[in-house]
Amino acid sequence: MRGIRSRLALSLVALVAVTVAAIGVGTYAFVDARLRASLLDEADRQAQFNLSVLVPERLPDGVTREGLDSAGLAAAFRLRGDVETIVDFHDGGTPWVSDGALLGAIGSFPAELRPVVDAGHLGYSWQDVIGQPSLVVAGHLPGAVPGTAVPVFSFVFPATSIQEALEQLRLGLIAAGLVAVALALAAARVVARGILRPVDSGSAAAARIARGDLSARVPAGGADEFARFAAEFNRMADSLASTVERLQASEAQNRRFVSDVSHELRTPLTALVAEASVIEAGLDGLAPDARRAAELLVADVRRLRILVEDLMELSRFDARAEQADLRPTDLGEATRSIVSARLPGAAVHGPPAQVVVAADVRRLDRIIGNLLDNAGEHAPGTPVEVRVGDDGANAIVTVGDRGPGVPEDVLEHLFERFYKADASRHGGSSGLGLAIAAEHAALLGGSLSARNRDGGGLEVTLRLPRVVSESLLAGDVLDTARDDAGGGSDAGSAPTEQARPNP
Amino acid sequence: MDARILLVEDDPSIREVTAIGLRAAGFEVDTAADGAAGLERWRQAQPDLVLLDVMLPRLDGLEVCREIRRASTVPIVMLTARGDTIDVVVGLEAGADDYVTKPFEMVELVARIRAALRRRRSTAEGGAGAALELGPLAIDTAGRTVRRGDEDIALTRTEFDLLVELAQRPGQVLTRDQLLDRVWGYDYLGDSRLVDVAIGRVRAKVERDPANPELLVTVRGSGYKAVR
Repeated sequence: MRGIRSRLALSLVALVAVTVAAIGVGTYAFVDARLRASLLDEADRQAQFNLSVLVPERLPDGVTREGLDSAGLAAAFRLRGDVETIVDFHDGGTPWVSDGALLGAIGSFPAELRPVVDAGHLGYSWQDVIGQPSLVVAGHLPGAVPGTAVPVFSFVFPATSIQEALEQLRLGLIAAGLVAVALALAAARVVARGILRPVDSGSAAAARIARGDLSARVPAGGADEFARFAAEFNRMADSLASTVERLQASEAQNRRFVSDVSHELRTPLTALVAEASVIEAGLDGLAPDARRAAELLVADVRRLRILVEDLMELSRFDARAEQADLRPTDLGEATRSIVSARLPGAAVHGPPAQVVVAADVRRLDRIIGNLLDNAGEHAPGTPVEVRVGDDGANAIVTVGDRGPGVPEDVLEHLFERFYKADASRHGGSSGLGLAIAAEHAALLGGSLSARNRDGGGLEVTLRLPRVVSESLLAGDVLDTARDDAGGGSDAGSAPTEQARPNP
Repeated sequence: MDARILLVEDDPSIREVTAIGLRAAGFEVDTAADGAAGLERWRQAQPDLVLLDVMLPRLDGLEVCREIRRASTVPIVMLTARGDTIDVVVGLEAGADDYVTKPFEMVELVARIRAALRRRRSTAEGGAGAALELGPLAIDTAGRTVRRGDEDIALTRTEFDLLVELAQRPGQVLTRDQLLDRVWGYDYLGDSRLVDVAIGRVRAKVERDPANPELLVTVRGSGYKAVR
């Protein structure tokens, strides 16, 4: 997650960690230096005292191994602090040591000590002596002549306590660092939440608008950067809402107009259709010219009727006045009966096994009927094949002809209103048949698609959601709305939309 | 065939050409231009069938239909606007036997009128009518009467034919399509609401509790059956 939240947390934690580390390292170095300095002071004082006071006092006749043993100097040195002593006589013999274990340690003393000591100073070195962190302070008796075999005293002070103190300090610093980082994380969360709360409310509002709820607004308040964003956002939403409202109003007006026009046309159309059908029955009594004109009139009235009825049908879809009356339907059987009523010459193939869908037979009739009309109009005289089957998820009816097909780029426009693939062709259809079929298909929860067939011709496919046959055939799932519709029930209750099956 | 038809339609062109077409088909036609006049003509002429526009001035077609049904079982065919589905159901519940949507061709209209008249004729002239029983109902197919005990039940012709279709085959399920074919004469995709509404009307007259029918039972997913 690379959100603001995590970036904020990361920055804060990094900042705190760096600060804590810097402070820790500084503290550690400071304490380390102080502790060493104070031990060094102490060791220095003690070595001075030992060399200038204790040794001359106890061994006034010069320093010898025997003298050292007998004078009890080791014990005397220890009295003033925990210290071990090595005396190197530089005479080729074994150094004198207060503790036998120290014998091997002399070799580990750094060479740089020698010149310092020879110059008459005290030299010192921080180092491990027989496994213990220690401070070694070396020097010879005051007044000794350099270059001669002067015994050099090395005092080994244990520095373990410094080490332990530093160890504890390190642990303490690490613990404090972890606590600081944890606190930083918590603080980052709190801060991030504070910063992001308005962002969250902004994105929630945007999501609501995306879902079509144009009334969503961002709570505006305060004078920070976000308040400006909120104000702009709300202004945008206002203007969007008013634009959409305007568009919806004008669209509703258009639809109402189409619907009104079709309704107004109905009465004269009813008269025309009835008149034309009376004229048609009396064609034989007319003079040849009048007869031809009357024939044309009858055909044109029929065309007009189809156009107006198709328009009215579409305007009902636009007004969302259409409801599907879904019932368990044997698609193969329904298709066969529709085809035999509409285009008896067409061949119906399949389905291999019974295909049951939740459908409305009258709508199926409109869909398949319009597809057959379309095939008959654009591929006259060619064999029409109807196929029923399923592709697992969907039940399928295809209507294929052997006509010229349509150019590939036209396929997707085929279901648009008044779309004519071939502008020069004027059949008896309104140019709305496929658009109407697609509306019906959508109402049944399905869809229409078209493709050019191998070997020429157009094939339109109706897909409908398949339903598990057993439950449907038992009639328990769908066929309930019409039960007991009588008994003086409410007039509007009969054609109700029923539950859509879950695909 | 010289059946007398009363045509109630307000649009003069539609009224005139429809009358011409019906006369050409052999009917005797009486016309009225609004609901009140239609009701008046019906009282005077007692036609064999009433062809009734739903949208009428003065007294609307549904009201006329209810008024006629109060006194008569004459076949009534409504002229409705296509797609006005509420109109269709309300018209059927008001007592219409069938409906034809506008615009219509004369052939369709004549076919619907003949089917409505044939229902009456086939049973009226059937001669060897049989007596059927369904629960407490005594059905006389020759006299076209239904009695429950001493009580006469007045059914329209469509309602009577529907009851007889089912009562003749007790226990056997008839689908809506079968009933549309046998009672209304639709051989392809009739409006199944015709059946449902008519069943409702029959139940309202013959069932003890129309909400819980015992004689004419719905068979889910199939249709209806009579239970003796």
